[in-house]
Amino acid sequence: MPKPRFKLVMKVQYFSLVFPSLLLFTVGLILPMILGVYYSLTSWDGYTKDFPFIGLGNFAKMLADPHTLDAWWFTIRFAFWNTLIQNLLALFFAVILDTGVKAKTFYRTVLFLPCLIAPIVAGFIWQHMYFDVLPGFNALLGTKVNFGLFGKSSTVLLGLLIVNNWQFVGYWMLIYLAALQSIPRELYESAFVDGASFRIQFLKITIPMLAPAFTICIVGITVGSLRVYDLLVSATTGGPGRASTSIIYHIYNTALNARQYGYGSALSISLIIVLLVIAVVQLGVLRRREVQL
Amino acid sequence: MKRFRFMVLGLGIALALTAFSAGGQTIRILDGQSTTDAGIEKIIDAALAAKYPNIKLDWEIVTWGTDLNAKVQQYIQSGLPDIIVGKGQDLATYSSRKILAPITGKPYLKNVLADAVKSATFNGTTYGVEFNALYQGVYYNRKIFKDNNLSIPKTQAELQALIRKLNSVGITPFATHFLDLWSIGNITMQFAINDIFSKNPGWANEFRAGKINYATSPEARVIYNYNKLLYDNTWKDETFSLEQTKADARLVQGKAAMKVSGSWSIQNFLDVDPDFDFGVFPFPNQAGNAKLIFEPNITFMKSATTKYSDAVDKVFDVITSDKDAAQKIYDLTKTAPLIKGVTPSYKNPSQKDIDAYAAKGQLVDANTGNLQLVWGGFQDENAKDIAAWLQGSETLDQALKAADSRRAVSKP
Repeated sequence: MPKPRFKLVMKVQYFSLVFPSLLLFTVGLILPMILGVYYSLTSWDGYTKDFPFIGLGNFAKMLADPHTLDAWWFTIRFAFWNTLIQNLLALFFAVILDTGVKAKTFYRTVLFLPCLIAPIVAGFIWQHMYFDVLPGFNALLGTKVNFGLFGKSSTVLLGLLIVNNWQFVGYWMLIYLAALQSIPRELYESAFVDGASFRIQFLKITIPMLAPAFTICIVGITVGSLRVYDLLVSATTGGPGRASTSIIYHIYNTALNARQYGYGSALSISLIIVLLVIAVVQLGVLRRREVQL
Repeated sequence: MKRFRFMVLGLGIALALTAFSAGGQTIRILDGQSTTDAGIEKIIDAALAAKYPNIKLDWEIVTWGTDLNAKVQQYIQSGLPDIIVGKGQDLATYSSRKILAPITGKPYLKNVLADAVKSATFNGTTYGVEFNALYQGVYYNRKIFKDNNLSIPKTQAELQALIRKLNSVGITPFATHFLDLWSIGNITMQFAINDIFSKNPGWANEFRAGKINYATSPEARVIYNYNKLLYDNTWKDETFSLEQTKADARLVQGKAAMKVSGSWSIQNFLDVDPDFDFGVFPFPNQAGNAKLIFEPNITFMKSATTKYSDAVDKVFDVITSDKDAAQKIYDLTKTAPLIKGVTPSYKNPSQKDIDAYAAKGQLVDANTGNLQLVWGGFQDENAKDIAAWLQGSETLDQALKAADSRRAVSKP
């Protein structure tokens, strides 16, 4: 039975260790969030000392604002396709590199390199790729392929998906690769002895054992895609028109450029709620699936 | 002995730092620059060091179109910088929100052209030093005009005929770069100045009062349709992927004959070909009486909360009185002076056109439009709808109605 004085000392120690992080977390995250909730109930323009209270007016406006709905629609499509394509490609490359393929390190490096570039730079690079570099192939091959994917509302999403997948497939591939390499080889050997084909081994051993990696990658890619902003700044500036304006880009434009800080705060609150709901649902479903598998 | 040397050295450094902090002042300056303005900070630093060596400027340079408003909002909460550099149109926005200090009657304003002081004065109070001006209109390749025996159009009918002629000889009439949304916003405002605001200076107030709608205004429909005219007579497949420098270069290379633009293109023109011969004329309006647009550009503003008001005045004194520095800035930015007695030495083939329009009184201040309809949240959002309409994602009526839906946030 520890003495009361010892317990007190331990409590002080714990508190002194936790306090710096708690302070940073409170000042950096909790307070701004509380302020954000307060601003979202006002029509503050970001300049004045007055914060006119308008209740839930901003939230009602949000539901009727076609630009907000368009921004959400773009963001959801971007996140959906990114999550699907990036997971499939990352898993595909991880499985290939987990076999006895030659020059593994080289391929791994090549696939991983783009994720070291800042998304804003990737946007510039691909703007020039689509406009200057790739059309050069038309001249060489005598074809008339329109590579200007960023220049049309109908193709801008495709153009951005190519860039985002080019950039981040290597990163998620490493997570899958690490998970693949942690699967005990004995499982495959036993299955092989029992006559299981490669397909059966993949479906019955690899996929179930990768379940934790699926959770990490699916949640990570979804949340990252829902927050897309910097790539758009350099690649498309949200255009043509508003065809590639994500919800974060829309929040920035509304709150800061259009001087509707209150409305922008309401949009931010809605984004936080959506991100939380999606993450919780995904985590819940995937964790349950992990147990089942 | 070694320790003693370190102590002496440390003491020396500490003394030097103390001496500077006691005698020197560091002025924070937030500079919202356009691409053409890059480099003016070095010229100003050098001029200031020569006259007031104790004053140092701590520059924070951001992009005017996208980041200046955001930074100002951020600093309103954490402490505004001592000087804000923006454009003439920012004066109305910032002075009405009481974040600028008045500078009415300051001696250095005598160095500034009277019209520029007047343009920076609201209800009898002056809020900024307007330093240079841009001219906006249709910049054209003189060689193409000469080779094809083309003359300057004054009416829409003449412009249409000119476009037909250019198309018939295989020259793209207009160089455009709609990738830059600001470009759509800018040209739309150019059209509006000559077709709307010159006819009815109170148009925007009537719009805000609900007496006029974009959706039902024939004039608004006309200026939106000018965008379509440009879009139909430019490189349609490329313009939404093309940036300004490339479009400017194509005009110089003779791949297009005209570009609705402003003096900010001159730097690019002369970078591509220092001997490029170009002129400028106003985009013809419906009445056939369009004027060339001039816009007060770089504008220095004093923060209402600065603790260094005297030092800021000294900075403004240097900016307006050092004619060598001013000339260097005009030569660098290829812009027109608003400081008295300074003549830029850079080559500007369009200057003779500007002089001719000025002599005939055919100049109009861009602020006649920019001070009526704010850029951030209104003009830029309208530009997005115009782009969406040109791309077929919206109808013209939807784009016009969208402008009406932003009525409440249209005031600078």
